[in-house]
Amino acid sequence: MRVDLTDSLSGLLPGEAFGHPVPSSLWAALRTGVETVVAPGSAEEVATLLKWASEMGVRVVPIGTGAHTYPRYPRDPFLVLTTSRLNEIQHYEPADLTMTASAGASIRDLSTATAIHGQWLPFDPPDVPNRTLGGLVATGLSGPLWAGYGQLRNHVLGATIVCGDGRALRLGGKVVKNVAGFDILKLMVGSRGELAVITSVTVRLFPLPVVDRLLVLEATDVSELVSTALAVATAPIMPASIILSATSDGGRLLVRLHGARVSVEADQKSLEKHTGVSLEVRNTPEAESLLVQERDSGINTELAVRVWALPSRIGMLLDVLKQVPGVRLNADVYGGSVRAYLPVNLSDIESILAGLQKDIEELGGTIRALRIPAEVNASSYFTKPLVDERELAAGLRRAFDPHAVLWGTQ
Amino acid sequence: MYRLLEKGDEEPVASLLTGKVSSGMTRRLPSTVVSDLAEIVGHEHVITDPDCLLVYESDGLTAYRRPPRAVVLPSSTEEISAVVGLLHSNGIEVIPRGAGTGLSGGALATPEGVIVGTARMNRILKIDVENRIAIAQPGVINARLTEATNPYGLYYAPDPSSQSACTLGGNVAENSGGPHCLKYGVTARYVTGLTVVLAGGRIVELGGVGRDPYTTLDLVGLFVGSEGCFGIATEIELRLLPITEGVRTLLGIFESVESAGRAVTKIIASGLMPAAVEIVDGPTIEAVEASVFAAGYPLEAGAALVIEFDGTDAGLDLDADRAEQCCLEEGAIEVQRATDPEHRTKLWRARKKAFGAMGRIAPDLLVQDATVPRTKLPEVLAGIDDIGNRYGLKIANVFHAGDGNLHPNILFDRQNQNELELVERASKEIMQLCVDAGGTITGEHGVGVDKRQYMTLVHGPAELEAMAAAKRVFDPDSLFNPGKVLPAVEVKGATDTAKILAIGE
Repeated sequence: MRVDLTDSLSGLLPGEAFGHPVPSSLWAALRTGVETVVAPGSAEEVATLLKWASEMGVRVVPIGTGAHTYPRYPRDPFLVLTTSRLNEIQHYEPADLTMTASAGASIRDLSTATAIHGQWLPFDPPDVPNRTLGGLVATGLSGPLWAGYGQLRNHVLGATIVCGDGRALRLGGKVVKNVAGFDILKLMVGSRGELAVITSVTVRLFPLPVVDRLLVLEATDVSELVSTALAVATAPIMPASIILSATSDGGRLLVRLHGARVSVEADQKSLEKHTGVSLEVRNTPEAESLLVQERDSGINTELAVRVWALPSRIGMLLDVLKQVPGVRLNADVYGGSVRAYLPVNLSDIESILAGLQKDIEELGGTIRALRIPAEVNASSYFTKPLVDERELAAGLRRAFDPHAVLWGTQ
Repeated sequence: MYRLLEKGDEEPVASLLTGKVSSGMTRRLPSTVVSDLAEIVGHEHVITDPDCLLVYESDGLTAYRRPPRAVVLPSSTEEISAVVGLLHSNGIEVIPRGAGTGLSGGALATPEGVIVGTARMNRILKIDVENRIAIAQPGVINARLTEATNPYGLYYAPDPSSQSACTLGGNVAENSGGPHCLKYGVTARYVTGLTVVLAGGRIVELGGVGRDPYTTLDLVGLFVGSEGCFGIATEIELRLLPITEGVRTLLGIFESVESAGRAVTKIIASGLMPAAVEIVDGPTIEAVEASVFAAGYPLEAGAALVIEFDGTDAGLDLDADRAEQCCLEEGAIEVQRATDPEHRTKLWRARKKAFGAMGRIAPDLLVQDATVPRTKLPEVLAGIDDIGNRYGLKIANVFHAGDGNLHPNILFDRQNQNELELVERASKEIMQLCVDAGGTITGEHGVGVDKRQYMTLVHGPAELEAMAAAKRVFDPDSLFNPGKVLPAVEVKGATDTAKILAIGE
């Protein structure tokens, strides 16, 4: 719906905040509804905008690049708030292994800065270099590397946020251990813009691994790889990541080992002994391109879901999912989750989704949309939070966004 | 300004100076409530005898004491729910308590409160080897989970110093750390799901390893570290790790804490990922060597640095070599290395026995807790030394150097009223020093009742109000552990002056 930029808003923010085109990356279904994109240049401007929106009853859809924004837009008048102008590294102390950057800074730029000091952010969700730091935190996605490094939520040390009503808050700090008060910082990770606009983030960095070895095992059917994958996941050593991928052409197991050369050699031997399978080493640059391909190959698919269950049930999840014709699967074996990219031209898409939901929930798992076409009724086919969880989450949303200004990407 | 007053705040804030917060009068519970509680948990599990209640008058921070009106010891989620439901329907506050090893007065009773203890909830309900998770009741002792999972090649990583006594429920409440959280992270990283009892006895499931963690907000993450103010965790799902193949422990002896601190910075900046990096300073070494725990450290040492690496055995000698080199470059007098468990225990002795040994030097010990950015350690330690000198107080430092998590231990004699006042003033200055260095007022011991007065050093009114709002979502009438964590702050224009408290001057 069209939003007229009133004089009051244009008078409140400097001219640089306006006139931005709708980002081409912004998901098509949302893009069609967007009339106004505002790019505040500071946390104060974010606060000004949200206060104005609260008074005017205008909804605000916060985005980073918008490429991974969930494709639903409000029926009420709304505008899109992009963090694209909040993109500086505010503080980087390599010896502390911590960095503070504005929310709109891209992971690619941050990685360039940290690599100079032999450091990195060990997260690898799809399209990670093009994501913004704020967007990464808002989606809460860690990628399969969390097997070796822990989830993103454990490495976000601090953030500045602006709540839906324009209140600016400083959460956490710059130190790696901090229990000074209730952990509302953790609530922001994965909150998808439902509570507040994240304006800056402090993260813990890690030393880059001396050796990053990729081990691969291929098969004509992914099911043949499941037992090996589970054996890797329960081996006495902990790989950096364990991925199972499947297309109609076959399946692939990818295991990453990080560490000094001698320990990576020993880890590989230990894995092979434990699994009874010999794994093939892929050297760079082939290894790198294979990892990127597996990580990113589905990002432009119009219909993508994430399925989650106990890691030991990963084989059952894959069995359910691979029934869908043309599906492409990418499983994080340690985490027990699968990203499934489905072809949209399936005429019976709604019945397929309904069937998936039923089968997956019967396995005790959950299914949620990563991306879905506007014409599919998203709320119908995805696992709902438990009633109590939903109620508590609603209470927290009211506390942070009392006027329901923010249009979360859920 | 915001308003944040709870029933527990109706008397002056706890202070070391007042010695205890008890008014001396504990109101007995109405006999009908006592008999209803006994109905739920059994007569022998409701403690009302004043002599027996004295056991529960403080936690590990004994400066604050107040006996509860009663202690109830349920044995299941359902019993906790019924007990909380009964107490809350009578408007009675609930103070959850594990083993009482906390160091911030978090389990201190309120004047109107009843302690609900988890001592009988001590069963490990499930060990799922395939998925590497365990489900435990909150009263299970931390170290017991590791013992129980060791036969499967697994262990539970968070290892607070009190791990042989503290409970998993307490760990969840405090988001506990420990020496090895440098590499492995704190409790929050390991909690994947919770069954909790909330206000009025409502049983709620949060998260679970088989569910997408972002189906909703991270309620598990919010609950961990809520210090008993949101509810009681009654079943805890925890992630386990495979036992590491090898360990190397180094002990570096330095002339000064500053040079040991520089060695730590060098080790971390060199890209090494030690499992633990701990420092004990000269006064601590002195205390340990004078005690039955003597480890044979040179008495002239200004600091001892314990560095541990774990993981695949093949890489560890290399890591240890590099760390040793860093120590020598920063002027280590000597570096010892242990590969066998016995030698390892010996190298850890001064660190592990430090608190016990200090009892020899002074009758009382205040264990402080704060975190600073690691690179600020040398200047902050020099600042703490200066504060100690100015107040004429002996301060011994034992700390998780890799995390920048300091434990300045102030030695004193509580009988000396003048000294008590100095301890309080020195504590506050140390907190301010750490905050000024970009740090925070507690890294792992929690805020409890002790650090409430320092909360305004790190948080503004808006942040505190946001925390209070989060609590209200879980506990709208503030019937769980009131008077903890959040400071009460004056409300401008409030007429109810009797309830106004000024904190932090």
